[in-house]
Amino acid sequence: MKLATFALLLSATSVHAFPVTVKSCDREVTFDAAPKAAISNDVNLTEMMLVLGLRDSMIGYTGISGWKTLDAKMREGVAELPELSAKYPTKEVLVGAEPDFFFAGWNYGMKVGGEVTPETLAPFGIKTYELTESCIHLGPKDKVAMDDMYDDLLNLGTIFGVSDRAVALVDGYKARLAQVTAGVDRSNPLRVFVYDSGEKAPFTAGKYAMPTAMIEATGGVNIMGDVEKSWAEVAWEPVVERNPQVIVIVNYGDVTAEQKIAFLKTNPAFAGIDAVVNDRFVVLEYIEATPGPRNIEAVEKLVAGFAAK
Amino acid sequence: MTDSTLTHSATRRLNLGAGAIIGLCVLGLSILVAVAVGAVSVPLSTVVGVLANKLVPGLVEATWTTGRAAIVWDIRFPRALLAALVGAGLGLVGAALQAVTRNPLADPHLLGISSGAAFGAILALLHTGLFLGLMTVPLLAFCGALVAAMLVVGVAGLAGATSADRLILAGVAVSFIVMAGANVLIFLGDPRATHTVVFWMLGGLGLAQWAHLIWPVAVLVPTGLWLWLRAPEMNAMTVGDETAATLGIAPARFRLQVFVAGALITGVMVAFSGIIGFVGLMMPHIVRLVMGGNNARVLPFSALFGAIFLIWADIAARVVMAPEDMPIGVVTGLIGGVFFVGLLARRRL
Repeated sequence: MKLATFALLLSATSVHAFPVTVKSCDREVTFDAAPKAAISNDVNLTEMMLVLGLRDSMIGYTGISGWKTLDAKMREGVAELPELSAKYPTKEVLVGAEPDFFFAGWNYGMKVGGEVTPETLAPFGIKTYELTESCIHLGPKDKVAMDDMYDDLLNLGTIFGVSDRAVALVDGYKARLAQVTAGVDRSNPLRVFVYDSGEKAPFTAGKYAMPTAMIEATGGVNIMGDVEKSWAEVAWEPVVERNPQVIVIVNYGDVTAEQKIAFLKTNPAFAGIDAVVNDRFVVLEYIEATPGPRNIEAVEKLVAGFAAK
Repeated sequence: MTDSTLTHSATRRLNLGAGAIIGLCVLGLSILVAVAVGAVSVPLSTVVGVLANKLVPGLVEATWTTGRAAIVWDIRFPRALLAALVGAGLGLVGAALQAVTRNPLADPHLLGISSGAAFGAILALLHTGLFLGLMTVPLLAFCGALVAAMLVVGVAGLAGATSADRLILAGVAVSFIVMAGANVLIFLGDPRATHTVVFWMLGGLGLAQWAHLIWPVAVLVPTGLWLWLRAPEMNAMTVGDETAATLGIAPARFRLQVFVAGALITGVMVAFSGIIGFVGLMMPHIVRLVMGGNNARVLPFSALFGAIFLIWADIAARVVMAPEDMPIGVVTGLIGGVFFVGLLARRRL
């Protein structure tokens, strides 16, 4: 009994080692205590909060139903939490909800030079943690990697005093990823193209967008991985020229994955692309293609899709 | 039109004081409404309490949360004041430019100033990042506006543009060149961030902060006063350059002075609000309908009407699609434009 209490105290002190400081893009953010009234923006960020078991520390979420729908798993996860704004929240909505923490990213709820930024929220006692993948919109950043997503989970763990949980989760993801990709032949990387949307010109993932990290984890190479941007519009010509063997479709919004695939198959200009000839398409949902826990399932999908035929 | 309104000015002058008092009262009430409504519903008693406590600390017992107080005092109040300042600035500049160019379509945004501001803002939003913190976008936008204005003055000088029409043409030409450059910046930027630019270019007052209000005030008050004091010269200019010249005014030089003063005001307003159309173009016309054509009253009342109009436009922008903010340029264009068509249809113009 005494021993148990002692152990509890020990773990309690190790967990509550506040104040803590984490790096968020180019800022250092210090927390004197774990936030108790957090708000997260968008599906993937909200899911990061949920897998860390932080729902009870949250008072709501924003920026989901304006464009996407919650799947059954997420609906169960957020339960009775209110959606404070269907799209990007305004400063008034955030301040009115009286949060102490906002988890968002650049173009994930915050716009550079917009009214909601870490700087504009700070005077209201709201601390902001920014999605690592999105830091590219503020300035130079290393190429995207799976570690960007892991770092976000670990930093959230530190901020909320649940580091043990975060470390266990990330270790589990890494192990699962290693297991899934163990049999992958890396000697001859598959050429992969990410097709998000656009008919006149394709919108795709560049050097700093999460799919590039996932494709590389799977032993493939993003044919647009040299584009010095996060998500970017490129021309069709280099796509045809670089001849992808697999096309990854990002599924969300009004145009379905089937329609996107049909478009690629029916346009005579793409008839010679290997992926079209061999009918090799992999569909990823929005929540899988953006940084978050579902990236692991996405990698599994990619491995399966890349291995076919 | 000008001659008849000038002769009527004596009879209209009687109403001037009353008009000013009524206008200022409406302005004050509009600000109060703007502070009272928004996406988050704050009870009127709380709004009044928060304001009272700011005037006399401890006057009312604070039964509200700090979040509610922050919404009223730190978000809505500076925003309403910024709306008033921007509306006043744009209305005033529109009136002055219309007078000295004798062109009813002269507008702060037509003469390249806003294009320059857009160029600066896009540079900050898509390329340089906020290297100077929150002031980056306003500062670059203001610099862009001034550079564009200097270009217009330079081109006007280069082309020997002494007439009013040629100054406007120089402004339009510079505007196209600068806008082409701005579009190159958009093209080179991240497409997902370009909607940031779209929002900036449609205008919005969400960036309003107490600490920033000093800049629009510091530019608007002295420059606006200078323009107002030049109202007699502007009256002469509206008749014609020859008339002005016989009264000892150098028309081309005076026009450029007014243009530069207008560029200063527009530049600082656009820097904080983005490009808000309609106000500068239409407010002077509405004021001339009500107050006559004497610029000594057209200028201040264009400012007053502009301030009131923009406060209400911002209220609509915040309320119509709550909790989203609609771009205020959409509201001014749509509501203002329809209202103006109504005026035209009734042949009041």
